[in-house]
Amino acid sequence: MKFDILIAGVGGQGVVLASRLLATAAMDAGLHVTTAETIGMAQREGSVTSHVRIGDEVCGSLIPSGNADLVIGLEPAEAARNIHFLGMNGSIVVNEHAVMPSVNGSVKYDPDQVLEFLKSNCQDIISIDFTQLAKQAGTYRAANVAMLAAAAGANLIPFPPGDMWNVLEKMVPEKYRDVNRRAFDIALERVSGIKNPEQAIDI
Amino acid sequence: MGNEAIAFGAMKAGVQIASGYPGTPSTEVMETIASHANKYGIYAEWATNEKVALETAVGAAYSGANTMVTMKQVGLNVASDPLMSLSYIGVKGSLVILVSDDPGPHSSQTEQDTRAFGHFSNIPVLDPSTPQEAYDMTKLAFKLSHEMEIPVILRTTTRVSHGCADVIIEDIEQASRDIEGFVKDPRWTIFPKLTAQRHPWLEELQIRLSDRFSEYFKQNSFNSISKGNSKTGIVASGVSYLYAKEAIKDSSETFSLFKIGTVHPFPEKAALEFLDNITDLIVIEELDPYLEEQLLQLIGKHHLDVNVHGKKNGHFPISGEYNVDVVIDGVNSSLKTINTDVPFLSHSSPAINKDNVPPLPVRPPTLCAGCMHRTVFYAFKKVAGKLKTEKINTIFSGDIGCYTLGNAKPLNMVDTCLCMGAGISIAAGLSHTHHYQEGKKAKQVAFIGDSTFFHSGVAAVISAVYNNADITLAVLDNRTTAMTGHQPHPGIGLTATGVSTKIIDIADILKSCGVDLVETIDVNDLGECIDIAKRAMDFEGPSAVVFKGKCVGITKGDGQYVVDEDKCTRCRICVSQLGCPAIFSPSNKPPAIQDNCTGCGLCAQVCPSDAIVLKEGLQ
Repeated sequence: MKFDILIAGVGGQGVVLASRLLATAAMDAGLHVTTAETIGMAQREGSVTSHVRIGDEVCGSLIPSGNADLVIGLEPAEAARNIHFLGMNGSIVVNEHAVMPSVNGSVKYDPDQVLEFLKSNCQDIISIDFTQLAKQAGTYRAANVAMLAAAAGANLIPFPPGDMWNVLEKMVPEKYRDVNRRAFDIALERVSGIKNPEQAIDI
Repeated sequence: MGNEAIAFGAMKAGVQIASGYPGTPSTEVMETIASHANKYGIYAEWATNEKVALETAVGAAYSGANTMVTMKQVGLNVASDPLMSLSYIGVKGSLVILVSDDPGPHSSQTEQDTRAFGHFSNIPVLDPSTPQEAYDMTKLAFKLSHEMEIPVILRTTTRVSHGCADVIIEDIEQASRDIEGFVKDPRWTIFPKLTAQRHPWLEELQIRLSDRFSEYFKQNSFNSISKGNSKTGIVASGVSYLYAKEAIKDSSETFSLFKIGTVHPFPEKAALEFLDNITDLIVIEELDPYLEEQLLQLIGKHHLDVNVHGKKNGHFPISGEYNVDVVIDGVNSSLKTINTDVPFLSHSSPAINKDNVPPLPVRPPTLCAGCMHRTVFYAFKKVAGKLKTEKINTIFSGDIGCYTLGNAKPLNMVDTCLCMGAGISIAAGLSHTHHYQEGKKAKQVAFIGDSTFFHSGVAAVISAVYNNADITLAVLDNRTTAMTGHQPHPGIGLTATGVSTKIIDIADILKSCGVDLVETIDVNDLGECIDIAKRAMDFEGPSAVVFKGKCVGITKGDGQYVVDEDKCTRCRICVSQLGCPAIFSPSNKPPAIQDNCTGCGLCAQVCPSDAIVLKEGLQ
């Protein structure tokens, strides 16, 4: 099997942690995995991406365009910026919470317009304000974890929610575990209605 | 992570002494060794710079120790002086130099290729394509170094160093305690006579290594040849090999594939064998056309009838990072000029056309919300603005670190940036031209971070004082090497392995270098920062201010600020002058402060209407 996930967001949103969690889940499932992350200067509040490639064979870490099975966008504009990675029949999980740039330059950014574009172009899309959801759980920082829970709950990644949580439990420091558990559960609950077992991905 | 794999490879190979200087994308190698140093009895350190790191490892290797040095590609420029001499002398134990290149570049000032440095210095270079290969090749590098008594370069690129993957590693034993010790011998002292004696040996060694690397094609997975059914061959190394494999996956039987991990010295014998029955060769490599040049040379030397397709005839980009799509385009471009029935490669079709995406905000990297550098930059900007009214121009020379991001608008506070430590010398150079610009007045300010100051700032300060350059030095001391992920440095009082050590005080260094005006200030109050910046800039001759603050990346915030909409006059000074990523300005509404505010209070201090207050204060 082969499964490519592109995670996009703004530096500081937890894109790297999300890709590490997915990579660990893949290894725990006995699969090969390779990631490419944005680390260093570009991280500082800039646009960042992580590529996660899961499969039977070792391959280069950068996903070719049109190859991603899933795009996880922690921010609407960042999902749209990387939308060329999405393959035919691919899905999107997008956080509706926009990070507005301080200096907007010449471009007027309308998050609703961007979300509408994504929704009208992709049928398999989960669009939720995961930041708000994470705030309910206790911290806006847990939006990344909530998004992984939603992806697992809706069968959009090749790991069931239980396996995804096991990885989180292993990798998240104990003092943040409860808040992440709450974010995870609220997100699972939110997608329970849209779960489509026919789309379940076989490993 | 590939860098962790390299560290584990080094520990498996028995590394005893490790030194380095942080630099993206190499940093995590030393961090991983340092975090296991106590467990395995390894000595690990951050040196003040790459030259010092290499020389430290050289000393240890002269005594028979297994040693490793880590740095990024531009770090090797700093370490090039010892490197170039070292190839003549060699080592006794082992010495592996990890150098990470950054095609793109993502986080570097150059796109240089360390394979070329290997060629220049006559030092072998290994080029892994995956984290697993990086682990295995690290062990090979130690073995080669020990056996041949030479330094070996392990060269990675960002996608190998900063990619995570499943890697099989072995049990690691305690570092051995049986170093022979330094044995006095004329071989350790370089002299023109010794160099003249050793040079023929060094050149002959290149041939021996090239032959040995050719042998690897028979037994080793780092180098491999697979034969296809056309007369078109592909040569690739490093991560480009994986891109090539994926690009041709639907026609993999068509192309012969020459995969090379031991890139320097180039394995000529194996390449000649591969070229038998090949009429067209496509070379796929990031950065310099290093393999392409080696192959062109080989083909010329042996008068072979092979056309080479690569960067030099425009089929592949000369710069930037590669990926599968770039490789597909390059192969197709090559195939167009080849008289063959090999079919073109095809791209996957994206589900959504990128051209239809609505307008998106530009998001360049910027200083973090609450970064102390923003306050210092703003203070100097204020003073420079005042001087401007007196027709005095201020030039701001920046340096390498987070504070390079001060170049972004609206701060716009970096007029020059060249390399580590250059800001001070460039400011000095600019100041020496003042006498030649009649009727014009100018002030020179150099910004430098704490770690960069220790790296290569001190010699520049001494030179500026010695030659009485009229410059003001602003040291941005956030007590960490922030950009590379918060490593300690000599000003902090902690070593790489967390041991307490002497704190070397930057202000004391400046005073002892002869800077007459040296001030130190904690970055809290903007007004005080402006006053002190002005005093330093008014001073004739070299002056310095050490601005002390914290890095918000590793400290807790001081609460959060909020805009009191009743008081806000919508003057937008906080938005238009600071460029803080926590402040967002919706059109027709007062600015809003977002969750990432860390409570530095700079916006509250610049607000003329006192409309920005601590969240707890707004009832």
